[in-house]
Amino acid sequence: MRHLTPDELIDLAEGAAPDAVAPHLQACETCRRSLADLQAARRAAADVEVPEPSPLFWDHFSARVGEAVAAERDAAAGAGSWSWARLLTPLSALAVAALVLAIGLAWRSNRPPPAVPTSPAVAANVPVTEPDTLLRDDPSLDLVADLSRDLDYDTAHDAGFVPHGSGIDAVVLALSDAERVELRRLLTQEMARPGA
Amino acid sequence: MAESLAWTLPRAWQAVQSSRVAASPVTAADQALDSLDEAGLVAACVDNRPGAFDLIVERHRRAIYQLCYRFVGNHEDASDLSQDVFLRAYRGLARFRGGSSLATWLYRIGVNVCLNRVSVKRPDTEPVDERQHVDTRIESPSEQMLKRERAARVRSAIAELPPKQRATLVLRIYHELPHQEIAEILESSVGAVKANFFHALSSLRKRLGDEMP
Repeated sequence: MRHLTPDELIDLAEGAAPDAVAPHLQACETCRRSLADLQAARRAAADVEVPEPSPLFWDHFSARVGEAVAAERDAAAGAGSWSWARLLTPLSALAVAALVLAIGLAWRSNRPPPAVPTSPAVAANVPVTEPDTLLRDDPSLDLVADLSRDLDYDTAHDAGFVPHGSGIDAVVLALSDAERVELRRLLTQEMARPGA
Repeated sequence: MAESLAWTLPRAWQAVQSSRVAASPVTAADQALDSLDEAGLVAACVDNRPGAFDLIVERHRRAIYQLCYRFVGNHEDASDLSQDVFLRAYRGLARFRGGSSLATWLYRIGVNVCLNRVSVKRPDTEPVDERQHVDTRIESPSEQMLKRERAARVRSAIAELPPKQRATLVLRIYHELPHQEIAEILESSVGAVKANFFHALSSLRKRLGDEMP
């Protein structure tokens, strides 16, 4: 004999079973017991209520949710403005770096060529490289040159590429007259050295 | 208080109320929100209209809290989980297409939040003597105690059910959702929902033994 399926028993327990199952239920003690167990368990579960929170809880709960939602909204708004900052900051840094490199390379290309060694043996081992050749040989410098081509002084100044008061200028300005004289003497001596 | 005043002084009260409505655009906006249907209220939320989401919270907070309480068995966790449900709902409201009712959609979020929670933490049901605010005015103290103890045992038995069976039992018995709706929430079939319900009740019967009414 085929007993009732779980599906049919659930429908019976909820009063939604088709009439076709009634004859079997009348004849089958096992299915009647199963149905009684399901109904008893259902009643036991249904009798358990959720304790009602304090009447003050609901307003407090709504306020908490409101605060969390407001924080979420503020965070989203903040994230929107930060995206611009995230975009502009590296671009500014890249422009400043390009300017520094471009100035450095331009200064280097204007310097007189280094003194060629007089010894033929040494001259044979040291290749003579013109600054323009250096620029052309390094393709990554083309990018730097392109980026810095239209960068004027004001833009660089606005981007923060300015000497700071705490740098070498400030140190020199703080020297006494005697110390400046000594500094000039040392620098002149250093520049006079061969190969300097 | 307001209702009693309105009953005692209906004309004066109505005059005060109507003058307030006319004088305060915020109140008028709130009333307009209150008159919106579900889709309109969701659209108002998506448009960041003040008070719209508060109204959704107010309408559904009790049902969501009770759903969470049925899962975790204590007030603190139920409160935290309910807040999480509404926060997730707020984040996802723009994606709500109205294919189901807002309540069903919130239940789905609630069940997912609760299932995630119970998968990492066993429900910590409150001790019997901590349950308050149940209306027991017509029962004797001994009857109240017996009822609370029985309820605690049933809660504990439900808490030990596998998560899907527990979700099915909670949604079916306490929230009286149709099998089809439970299937949508659990992303399952009606047959699977009935099978889960059958096994949940059978397990409950075995765990409670002779304690059942």
